[in-house]
Amino acid sequence: MDTLKRIKYEVITKAAKLALKGNRILSERKFKTPKRWRTDILAPPLKIGLRTKELVTRHYLEGRYAEGAKPVAWVTSGAPVEILKALGFYVLYPENHAALCGARRTALELCLEAEKSGYSMDICSYARCDFGALISGKTPVGKLPKPDLLLCCTNICQTVLYWYRVLEKHFNVPLVVIDTPFLYREAEEHHIEYVKNQLDKLVEVAERVSGKKLKFERLKETLRLSKMAAELWHEVIQTGKNVPSPISVFDQFIHMAPIVEMRGDAETVDFYAEMLKELQERIEKGVSAVVKERRRLLWDNLPIWYKLKFLSEFLAERGIAIVTSTYTNAWGELAPMMDPQRPIESMAKTYLYPILNRGVGHKLKTMKEMIKDYSLNGAILHSDRSCKPYSVGQIDERNRLISELGVPALLLEADHNDPRAYAEEQVRTRLSAFAEMLES
Amino acid sequence: MIEIPKRSEVIKKQKDEGKLIAAVFPIHYPKELLRAFNIHPVEVWGPPLVDTKTGNAHLQPYICSIVKCGLSFLLDEAIGTVDMVLVPHGCDSLQGLGSLLLDFIKPEKPVMVFYPPREKRSCDVGFLEKEIKRLYHQLCQLTGYSPDEERLLKEIEKEEALEESLLKLYENRKEVTLSSLEFYRLIRAREYLDADTLMNLLKSVPQKKQTPLTNSKPVILSGIVPEPMDILEKIDEMGAYVAADDFASCRRRVYGKGESRNPFTRMAERILNGPPDSTKGSSFDERIAFIESLIRRCSAKAVIFHNIKFCETEEFYHPILKRALKEMGVKTVEVEVDLNERMPQQALTRINALIESIE
Ligand code: SF4
Ligand code: SF4
Repeated sequence: MDTLKRIKYEVITKAAKLALKGNRILSERKFKTPKRWRTDILAPPLKIGLRTKELVTRHYLEGRYAEGAKPVAWVTSGAPVEILKALGFYVLYPENHAALCGARRTALELCLEAEKSGYSMDICSYARCDFGALISGKTPVGKLPKPDLLLCCTNICQTVLYWYRVLEKHFNVPLVVIDTPFLYREAEEHHIEYVKNQLDKLVEVAERVSGKKLKFERLKETLRLSKMAAELWHEVIQTGKNVPSPISVFDQFIHMAPIVEMRGDAETVDFYAEMLKELQERIEKGVSAVVKERRRLLWDNLPIWYKLKFLSEFLAERGIAIVTSTYTNAWGELAPMMDPQRPIESMAKTYLYPILNRGVGHKLKTMKEMIKDYSLNGAILHSDRSCKPYSVGQIDERNRLISELGVPALLLEADHNDPRAYAEEQVRTRLSAFAEMLES
Repeated sequence: MIEIPKRSEVIKKQKDEGKLIAAVFPIHYPKELLRAFNIHPVEVWGPPLVDTKTGNAHLQPYICSIVKCGLSFLLDEAIGTVDMVLVPHGCDSLQGLGSLLLDFIKPEKPVMVFYPPREKRSCDVGFLEKEIKRLYHQLCQLTGYSPDEERLLKEIEKEEALEESLLKLYENRKEVTLSSLEFYRLIRAREYLDADTLMNLLKSVPQKKQTPLTNSKPVILSGIVPEPMDILEKIDEMGAYVAADDFASCRRRVYGKGESRNPFTRMAERILNGPPDSTKGSSFDERIAFIESLIRRCSAKAVIFHNIKFCETEEFYHPILKRALKEMGVKTVEVEVDLNERMPQQALTRINALIESIE
């Protein structure tokens, strides 16, 4: 690493940190609900949003100066990132970057760039978005640092493996694959041992790339922080059990960025502790995320990033609150498996168990439990054209929710990042009919 | 013309001989393991042009036709005939298929799954060996039989010998007096024939120095499976022939010999050290080098990427592979097919244009 770049990185990021924090504190003092906010149907935005913005801005800002100053890794969202964090890597999550592009509505432009270069419209729109950013250099965050290491964990899909093969070819840097055999049933001994062996291999490569030796105590501490953040995030989601719910799934989608891309940081723990406090205050004051909450739903699959506002308002107008989702829950439910005293062993197991690495029967079971625990009246299953691992099985899942639990369930066709697979009129019609059904 | 036994005849014969029949979905699995249990694997690659009403009841429109046709065919026709189903993990859609069968559909026959790893480090070989052992124990339970190492090695050696002959056939493609369609009918008979029968068929393949292919243009096909197969006939009609292939169902499964005397390690080595393949997550460099070696051997000037609609697994590779081939002076075209549709005219026109453009 380059010492001058490191000094520049330290100076700029420290200054930026102070400036962003100061800015946020000022904004908190004069916190006002934005003018266009529909206060007739939605609770005012969570104050924590200012901190989310601060953290995310800082994360990408650090990225701009990280290249050459500290080792940089690009990783998949379900990667065992604690090892890299403990070795001082700056970690970038292309999926999160793509989600941000989706929410800021620049994803389509990037997808088109990728398609111009020959990538098919049928591949995951997150990947296309990332390739589009690589090819064009365009990104709403200014600049993405080049990686020194790529880490791909297949526990969310096999798509990421191909995506990272493209990155491997593009950047010509080492790629470590953590292959997590899909769990049709429970993990067997050889599955766990296999992942453990690969984590050992990751340590070896990451040490070589960073030029540092992994300190075990540091790894334990990082995992402890990851676990605490995941536990708090899970508690945050579970405030949705309260009737009326102080939080909607749309809030969760917006505030999940730190648990995905800042796991292992002390500030992420503070962040979710603060968020939890705000939600508990809302509960005490009887503040409901959807002002006139009459019906409560579950969301399955990724968000439709470019339609969060529309969907949240459209449903809230009809007294519908989506209070939880299998997607956001995935970042919290595995916290009990993490054991900071046995970091590698427990990570080997934890990283095998994300909902996306488990069978469709497990997903249905999770959905049924959520419907019961959160007192839900139905479910919307986003059939996401881009995400096959999440979507295959949804037709049966929907049918079984209806036949076995007697709750209405709707399959909504769209794509998490590509607006061309979304038909607004059709969505309106289907959601209106569904809302009517919920009332009857 | 070679007389290839029909799939239904083979199944009947095997059943009459007391063998159990396994319906096996794509792509990689230790065929020799099943054979050692007296189980006859019959692979399900579609088939094309089936009624997919049943598949549509479980799968969204953006799932590929291999999975959709396969599921429909299994539930509507095959399930009564077969004794078990094996779904190897090859991609996100096959993963979903296995999971759906196990958790929701639960057909009346046992469903087994199998996970081949996506790298080939020593830990991957070790894992695959254990995964094969897991399958071995499952089959022991299912059949009440436990083949010993000798039996396993015998079946492995049979497959290895068959692959050696297949490789020779591939290498002598130009001297083989078979049209592209006939050639691939023969290669694909491996999907439902046992090694001995296919070996005998291979021995009867006529070869001579001067064949009608001498004046045809050699092209390579790359993809998952050559379906619908009339594409092969059309290529010949256009003045070319398929001189080599990079199909997951064909050449990418000519694994080659393993080294170990431990049958489980050997089966694992065979799968992992075989030709690079998208479903095994192979790197670009490996895939480029492999296709380049095919090109060198048959002097092909063009590669046709034959893609099953919605097959992300292959699609990710195409832009970089095409670029690499262009740099080698090899022309490419990509066509998209759906097993449930006839070969689109537009795709044929593009192939024709490609063939015309090469010397
Ligand atoms: S959206 Fe789905 S397919 Fe795309 S990277 Fe995420 S898990 Fe994989
Ligand atoms: S065609 Fe592609 S997507 Fe379909 S089963 Fe085969 S590898 Fe999977």
